[in-house]
Amino acid sequence: MAMTGGGGQGAVPKINVTPLIDVLLVLLIIFMVISPLKPSRFEAKVPAEPKDQQDVNVKPNPLTLVVSINRDDRKIALNNDVVGTVDDPSPLTQKLNEIFTQRTNNGVFREGTNQVEKTIFIKSPKSVRYGDVVKVIDAAKQAGAEPIGLQIDDLSQ
Amino acid sequence: MGMEIGGASEYNSEINVTPMVDVMLVLLIIFMIVTPLLQQGVSVNLPRDMISPDPDPDIAKDTSVVISIPDNSNFYIGKEQFPLDALGEKIRRLMENKPPDKRIVYIKSGVDVDYGRVVQAIDTIRKQDIDKIGLVADRKKGGQQPQNK
Repeated sequence: MAMTGGGGQGAVPKINVTPLIDVLLVLLIIFMVISPLKPSRFEAKVPAEPKDQQDVNVKPNPLTLVVSINRDDRKIALNNDVVGTVDDPSPLTQKLNEIFTQRTNNGVFREGTNQVEKTIFIKSPKSVRYGDVVKVIDAAKQAGAEPIGLQIDDLSQ
Repeated sequence: MGMEIGGASEYNSEINVTPMVDVMLVLLIIFMIVTPLLQQGVSVNLPRDMISPDPDPDIAKDTSVVISIPDNSNFYIGKEQFPLDALGEKIRRLMENKPPDKRIVYIKSGVDVDYGRVVQAIDTIRKQDIDKIGLVADRKKGGQQPQNK
């Protein structure tokens, strides 16, 4: 190895470090980009455990929006109207956007507050992949649904 | 500063990069070693490329409770595995001293896990009087900004 090829008298034995630095810088940049993946989450609420009382006086709320997922044909339903599928949930986002805009214009508020009612419930059979459920939550959240409730009682298989 | 002290007639105007390379290499090695250690808990195939989850730095904190469900048969808190019936007790103990607004349990579940398993975990959490759940998901780069409430 080394400098025998140099014919001159003043052959200086210097290593060319420039490519090394290049590689190192690129590696450093790659690490810097990868590492600060900020963790994020969807906040969901769970309704309280149902009590065994028979005489609970539950007033049905006409503003409640329930998004349900059909296990067999992978369709999403919003209060029984089919809006998109798990693979393409964008119609759900659109529909929710429409509803929320309408409610904002008409001043439909959550009971006892001056916030527009945007509560939504997600109901899915137990054998659906978790990833699909999260996709639907994502679609609902994009329309500004808040809070998102997970209905976890009396789910079908 | 500078090279005035050198009395020689030829000035060497090259920067000596060797110390810099040394430092860089050491930094690189440190990063390479530390990165896997920083990762807490078991590795889970999280839902990716989600558009609207809210960033929450609390997830990575040591004090927050994160349940990992990597597959259909196991529940983990941190790196420790718990059967479903021991999970509730553990959560209750971890949550005991938390102020009400911090009472949130994070769930890291793999995408291929059945929703029913996740529901079992949520049901256990609910029995400890916790009604807030954080479903951890990876945010797509350049996704939409969190909306103002």
